[in-house]
Amino acid sequence: MNPAEEIKQLFPDSVLSTGLQMNKPLAIIKKEELLKVAQKAKEMGFDHLSVITGIDYGSRFEVVYNFFSYIKKQNLVLKVVLGHENPEVDSLESLWKGADWLERETYDLVGIKFSGHPNLKRILLPEGWIGHPLRKDYDMSIDQFVTIGEDGEDVVSTDGSNLLRK
Amino acid sequence: MKTDELIINMGPVHPSTHGVLRFKLTMDGEIIKKCEVVMGYLHRGTEKLGEMKTYLQFVPYTDRLDYISAFPNNYAYVKAVEEIAGIEVPLRAEYIRVLTLELNRIVNHLVMLGSLLLDLGASTMIMYGFRERENALQLFEMLCGARMTFNYIRPGGVREDMPEGFIPKLNEFIKDMEKRIDDYEQLISGNEIFLGRMKGIGVMSAQDAINYGMTGPSLRGHGVNYDIRKIEPYSVYPDIDFKACMHDGCDSFARYMVRIDEMRESLHILRQVVDAMPEGKAITYAKYGIAPITGAPTAASTYFPRIFAPPPGEVYSRIEAPKGELGFYIVSDGTIKPYRIKIRSPSFCNLTAIPKMVEGLMIPDLIAAFGTIDVVLGDVDR
Repeated sequence: MNPAEEIKQLFPDSVLSTGLQMNKPLAIIKKEELLKVAQKAKEMGFDHLSVITGIDYGSRFEVVYNFFSYIKKQNLVLKVVLGHENPEVDSLESLWKGADWLERETYDLVGIKFSGHPNLKRILLPEGWIGHPLRKDYDMSIDQFVTIGEDGEDVVSTDGSNLLRK
Repeated sequence: MKTDELIINMGPVHPSTHGVLRFKLTMDGEIIKKCEVVMGYLHRGTEKLGEMKTYLQFVPYTDRLDYISAFPNNYAYVKAVEEIAGIEVPLRAEYIRVLTLELNRIVNHLVMLGSLLLDLGASTMIMYGFRERENALQLFEMLCGARMTFNYIRPGGVREDMPEGFIPKLNEFIKDMEKRIDDYEQLISGNEIFLGRMKGIGVMSAQDAINYGMTGPSLRGHGVNYDIRKIEPYSVYPDIDFKACMHDGCDSFARYMVRIDEMRESLHILRQVVDAMPEGKAITYAKYGIAPITGAPTAASTYFPRIFAPPPGEVYSRIEAPKGELGFYIVSDGTIKPYRIKIRSPSFCNLTAIPKMVEGLMIPDLIAAFGTIDVVLGDVDR
């Protein structure tokens, strides 16, 4: 049976709808129930978390999890829909260690918080960077300058003052 | 005796980090207690750029992700676009694509072997590796005029057909390469120093490797028989006889051996592709919303659409790149530009495993283990 339908049968209250992402089974999950459903998905054999994608739709955010099962050779896509104000969803780091950096990247570039993540900080951009670039309302007109400070950590400024040697 | 932990910064500019990557190592004497990876020095915002380009304009940007093996990058992106737009590809184009993909896999593994051995202090292999790579790069140059950033695989086929005299040159390369791989094996695989640096170093269980999201040759060194070309076949791979190379040593040496075997397997695929190369067109038209460019169409635009708008939808499409699972997640809103492009890069996800893998090892072992993961920083930072 289609794993998305299977999950819907197991958690009828947690699954908002099922469908297809091209030809991969897709289930849209209530954001509060994600961790519970993901736990079940892992027990069902979905041991490989391919990718986590955060998408800004203007009025809402979507976080998409693409899973694959090495045992069953099946795909599964889980999706949560988040409000545009303060988007937050449970971290899956406890189930798949690979989610660690993928979630940090989503936090860094899209600005979605993952509650329960042990080390949720920016990964590609330096700490102190203003805004999340992959949001549609990201202001690209602001210049931001990055240098490496004396302690080896990055320093960000908007006026270039950190570029001058003292 | 009272001892303190010492924090060492390795990188961002360090010869063995293959680019700009920084390890923040917490050391207890010579033993690594904790390894923190700091990246982003090469971040170019490729995903954001993708939202501002048309589907075709984004192809050259994919070249710059993993610059050692740009054909697979081109192909992974183009495959996702073709899936979402429903573009059909002529059979000849698919064969030419597989030819480039496998040739690029050999090039990638040559660079990987060369730099791995160089990191260990043996400088011979990088000379050999780059000598053979040069021959392959000349083939690429013949094919598309570029040596590293090809922009060759396009939605609907490839940019242009193979030039005359390409196949004979390729056959020469294949024949030469067979002997060379045996040479490498004689040079490296039995070398006692090499074995000492590789065997039992950077060990990680298969379960952990899966959990940390490792893919590709690095994962197949952990005894997981998982190759996207086999389990989710794409292009003409179902018609080709090959096997997914696997070793179950779970250490650096097993990951190295997978690369050697894969080069042989790629040659095997190349020979079949050359034999089975069908006649026909190398590029086709798209089915959906082909809008002509403004002004007079040039010769090129009669061959394929410059601007097209796929129907709204989402797709995640992945291929077996030389470094692992390379996937593109594309969201289309029905306009000529993608709404969102997400790149699932193999280097980034394989690197996740490094901090766990090197706990309790020494710094030279970190370098060896890191070399066998085969990371390109353009791919990590995007």
